[in-house]
Amino acid sequence: MRYDFTPEQTAWRDEVRAFIRANISPALLDEQREAGNEGRGPLAQEFIVKLRDRGYWGLAWPQEYGGLGRSAIDQWIFVDELEGAGAPMLPLAVTSVAPTIMRIGSESQRKEWLPRIVSTDVDFAVAYSESEAGTDMAALRTRAVLDGDEWIVTGQKMWNTMAHMATHNWVAVRTEPEAPKHKGISMIIVPMDAPGVTVTPIYVWPGLRTNAVFFDNVRVPRDYLIGERGMGFYYAAMALNFERLSIGSVAMIRRYFHELVAVVRELTIDGVPLRQRPWVRERLARLAVDIEAARMIGLETAWALEQGGVPAAQSSMAKVFVSELAQRVADAGTEMLGLNGQLHPEEPAALLFGRMQWIYRLAPMLAFGGGTNEVQRNIIAMLGYGLPRK
Amino acid sequence: MQLSPSPEQQDLADAVDRFCLEQVTPERLSAWQRESRGIDATTWAAVARLGWFGLGVPEARGGSGLGLVDVALLLQACARGLVPRAVINAIRASWALARLDPDAPELETLASGARVLALAADEQCAREPRHFATVIEGGGAAHVRGEKWYVANGVSADWHLVAARDGAGLSFAVVAGEATQGQMLRTFDGEEQARVRYAGAPVQRLVGAAGSAEPGLRRLRREATALALAEMVGGMQAALDTTVAYVKEREQFGQKIAVFQAVQHQVADMAIAFTAARHLAWQAITRVAAGSEQGGELETAVAYAGPAFKRITLTAHHLHGGAGFVVEHPLHYHSERAQTLTIRFAPEAPALDSVASALLD
Repeated sequence: MRYDFTPEQTAWRDEVRAFIRANISPALLDEQREAGNEGRGPLAQEFIVKLRDRGYWGLAWPQEYGGLGRSAIDQWIFVDELEGAGAPMLPLAVTSVAPTIMRIGSESQRKEWLPRIVSTDVDFAVAYSESEAGTDMAALRTRAVLDGDEWIVTGQKMWNTMAHMATHNWVAVRTEPEAPKHKGISMIIVPMDAPGVTVTPIYVWPGLRTNAVFFDNVRVPRDYLIGERGMGFYYAAMALNFERLSIGSVAMIRRYFHELVAVVRELTIDGVPLRQRPWVRERLARLAVDIEAARMIGLETAWALEQGGVPAAQSSMAKVFVSELAQRVADAGTEMLGLNGQLHPEEPAALLFGRMQWIYRLAPMLAFGGGTNEVQRNIIAMLGYGLPRK
Repeated sequence: MQLSPSPEQQDLADAVDRFCLEQVTPERLSAWQRESRGIDATTWAAVARLGWFGLGVPEARGGSGLGLVDVALLLQACARGLVPRAVINAIRASWALARLDPDAPELETLASGARVLALAADEQCAREPRHFATVIEGGGAAHVRGEKWYVANGVSADWHLVAARDGAGLSFAVVAGEATQGQMLRTFDGEEQARVRYAGAPVQRLVGAAGSAEPGLRRLRREATALALAEMVGGMQAALDTTVAYVKEREQFGQKIAVFQAVQHQVADMAIAFTAARHLAWQAITRVAAGSEQGGELETAVAYAGPAFKRITLTAHHLHGGAGFVVEHPLHYHSERAQTLTIRFAPEAPALDSVASALLD
């Protein structure tokens, strides 16, 4: 047994770190913080194109599509380093939609969409949820009806984050109304500039923007339905699987935690250095232990993938653990900063740029979003330990 | 990165599992409670034939010459299968003596299981050597005077390895078991522990140079903690496995209780804690074994594993209900180990202190 990286893995990590050192500037980090997700700033866009030029987009892509064929552990290292450095993350078009199209799209669909993703001409938002189809995604009602050579799409998607920036939407629609609910769904691409598409902003607690998107008799070419009709539920599951490698990463939380520790080391309140307070020491130590525990669960996920398994239970463990840990870090952080912990990110006096209270507001979403933690726990019990559904 | 055991290591674990399946039955566990050492002579001899006592003893002394990682794997499987404590403590002691002195003449009979060594370090109110009251007196005909507490196998052992003050420093002295007065201490997990009086017990020999034992004791304790982490992982796995099996069988309200979300979610939380603890533990064990610690791995694992083991066993009790609460059910052995291993080898508070210190001082 060995918990150290191999020399090749260490070399890969060092390559990624060197890339980060050369390409992540304080200006980029400032831009990231100020932009939220209202838009990808010019520096972030430039960074993502650099990732492409280095071939890093193809990390999770099959080799026949120009992927690097990197192992699951190497992918884990990449995500861990980039998130840990506060880098802009690769868009879902690259990490989730493209590898799905590679596997399920027809030859002509792959030729049409993949080069345009690579050239950054096409960027995807991802539309699965609806107001009545959240955790129960298969209950979705947005429909597409074939009319000659075109699909007519009608309905409404919720939590369609990035829809206001993307050129295209990767939409789960019902095409087979007579089929059982899991078998009647297809994946269809809708251009955001098509007539009948309306994007309405929704602002959520941490100040981020997401969207409700309305489709009013939107016509899209017949060939924009990707893969086979009626297989959309499984394609969406595949796309979500590709997304998973980064979901359970603890790197972002670890970064904010170490920023918190750096502030705590310097802060004196009521004449006593904060770092001497027993409750501060114990709470930070417990969080440091949990952050390392989260790293281990992430490694277990990558390891299972590398061994050729489908780490469904493991990635659910990582998601549950990290999302709940984020709440604990933010809770401890805001309290430790004392009265300053209340300050809004836009208040210049806010320590840590107000990050602690921002995570405090963000963390609930990490737990209920991306498949609620209740569903994740069911997955762990059922897929990991064979507990029955009924 | 290689997060699972090698085929040879897996063979070792499988062999232990097979032995436990056949030999360590709930009936026998109950029967062994009435044995003074917690195990009968026939089973002890069967264990000895498997070579477990000599796994970490050099080949030149009749052992297998394997290292900490393999001994930890052995103890993990022993803990999972509830191999009696007397066996585990004897394996720990032969390992420790081999680490201190690979040429020790006692090792051959320890490796064969013919004799047993007890490690005597802790005192009634002292675990740090500078607070030890037990001393080595005299020059040519040296003897040990003092009292050690919580000595595992302390009544039945053939030899005691006593950590005692010797002038300015600490020494390890080998003392014959018959020269000691051991009094059984009743512990809540039924382990043979003793309060041992050394009333001028003759020193057969010193292990290592006089007065130089303290660094060795510290290293042994870190390694003992690493071994305890492996035992904890084995116990956690057993508690999780037995719970998963039980909830799939038990029916209430006309269905298996495993279908209830409230049950599934508790199983999921056990699984998460087990997965994290297992890897934290093995990261620490492998790094301690290789001498390649990067800082804090052992303390981090300790701070996580003890609470995780306790939470897992207590949740296991909850999900078993009354069925797992009767003394005939083996679950309580694991639950006891969760706390006794924590107390002796892996206390949480000093580990957290150490982690905090690395962050903040």
